[in-house]
Amino acid sequence: MLKVENLTTRYGRIEVLHGIDLEVAEGEIVSVIGANGAGKTTLLRCLSGVQPISGGSIRFRGEPLTAAPHKRAGLGLGHSPEGRQIFTNLSVEENLRLGGYSRKGATREDIAEAYEMFPILGEKRHLPAGGLSGGQQQMLAIGRALMSRPACLLLDEPSMGLAPLLQKQIFDTVEELKARGVTVLLVEQNAYGALKISDRGYVMETGRITMSGPSAELVADPRIREAYLGV
Amino acid sequence: MDAFLQFVFSGLTVGAVYALVALGFTIIYNASDVVNFAQGEFVMLGGMITWFAHDAGLPLWAAALIAIALTSLVGVALNKLAIEPARGAPVISIIIITIGASILIQGAAQLVFDKQIHRYPAFSGDAPIEVMGATILPQSIWVILGALAVFVALWLFFTRTLMGKAVLATANNRLAAQLVGIDTGGIMTLSFALSAAIGALAGVLVTPITLVSYDVGVALALKGFAGAMLGGMGNPKGALVGGLVLGLLEALTAGYLSSQYKDAVAFIVILGVLFVMPQGLFGKTAAERV
Ligand SMILES: Nc1ncnc2c1ncn2[C@@H]1O[C@H](COP(=O)(O)OP(=O)(O)OP(=O)(O)O)[C@@H](O)[C@H]1O
Ligand SMILES: [Mg+2]
Repeated sequence: MLKVENLTTRYGRIEVLHGIDLEVAEGEIVSVIGANGAGKTTLLRCLSGVQPISGGSIRFRGEPLTAAPHKRAGLGLGHSPEGRQIFTNLSVEENLRLGGYSRKGATREDIAEAYEMFPILGEKRHLPAGGLSGGQQQMLAIGRALMSRPACLLLDEPSMGLAPLLQKQIFDTVEELKARGVTVLLVEQNAYGALKISDRGYVMETGRITMSGPSAELVADPRIREAYLGV
Repeated sequence: MDAFLQFVFSGLTVGAVYALVALGFTIIYNASDVVNFAQGEFVMLGGMITWFAHDAGLPLWAAALIAIALTSLVGVALNKLAIEPARGAPVISIIIITIGASILIQGAAQLVFDKQIHRYPAFSGDAPIEVMGATILPQSIWVILGALAVFVALWLFFTRTLMGKAVLATANNRLAAQLVGIDTGGIMTLSFALSAAIGALAGVLVTPITLVSYDVGVALALKGFAGAMLGGMGNPKGALVGGLVLGLLEALTAGYLSSQYKDAVAFIVILGVLFVMPQGLFGKTAAERV
């Protein structure tokens, strides 16, 4: 589905990703874990094109991915960005409709499906999205990204800032997406939550992948247990 | 009473022009949070180019279409050459850039055209129409209908179309707009073109009444800005009502006090709005916007 080879990028003159290799097969949940500033968000930004790459290549569904950023949603690459980035002055429903912009606007059915997945959004459909709580905004960000019917969904720290119960709900949702056939690349600081639901995982440190493997093995690895799981 | 009605008619006419300028502000503000002080120059160009093309022998309607099209191109160029390169700069810097652009456009108009005052014939003659003891020029009706038509079109655009929502989304969060597939660069181009076209339309409509010369833009930008502030920046309904109210206040001040005070009205309105109700008549409260 997604194949990243030797990817580098820089902010100004400072290189922050130093040759990332990463692969996501169709139907998988793959997690990327790592500390603050490791470059996880930057990696996702490169994939959706809002951050230009300075070297290496990205292949998406077998083709080199070089389209302009705004064309990538239409190719089947959804991105729920760090910090949610919802359209605060538009209503919940308008956010969802715009989520399907690449398909000329989300259909009624798509929006109804999002409300089924997150009933609270249905209750607040006509309210300004800026007034939602953090958890609700996260649901909206995921729902909005789904409105383009992505084959592959990039999720940047969906559990950030949420109470444990809400975190669990979000992780359950990600598993449900997998069951519906959506491939997911999940970036998380909640390493345990992410590894528990993912098939494979990558560990990122200061712009490099330092470990990778099946999530079950990573969870059991003493180095990871010490560095990321706090045990 | 007749005098009052007469003032109202003249107030509605200038007010409709202010409303058109304010509507132009609205679009660019909605797409980028920038107040484009070159908006008044679009009005000047609309009038000047129409006069020039008409003078060169084209029928008035063709001259007007050319003026609107060329002014749209100027709007697009303004965005591409001056606004876009400054992207990421604080909004206040970009606003200052638009003031610079306004001065530049005036200078260019002086060179390309001339420094004379011009007019061309009214669309439906100059015979005043009598209404309840007062009179109104047919051209005034053109101006007022023009403002209403643009308002309705914009209101439908922003509330009923996906593209209109995409404009709002682009201003609210450019990153997220790109991620959902909105060509944010294209939206900016569209906004400047549309806004310039509306300004030019105002110039086309009002020149037979108020005449045009290279330097009419600055005052119009200020008045339109005052109207937009009064109505609430970013809201088409606010732009329409704010522009009309400002025009009426001016006409009544000129009529009952002195025309010397007329131009002070806009400034008093700006100050009053800033102090008393910064969000204007129809503007969203800060809480809703953030
Ligand atoms: N816009 C920017 N300009 C300059 N440097 C940046 C920018 N954004 C991120 N960086 C730097 O790039 C590096 C990677 O940041 P990035 O946000 O990708 O990390 P992250 O793994 O997502 O961190 P977090 O877990 O805190 O979200 C950091 O050193 C950061 O300081
Ligand atoms: Mg991050």
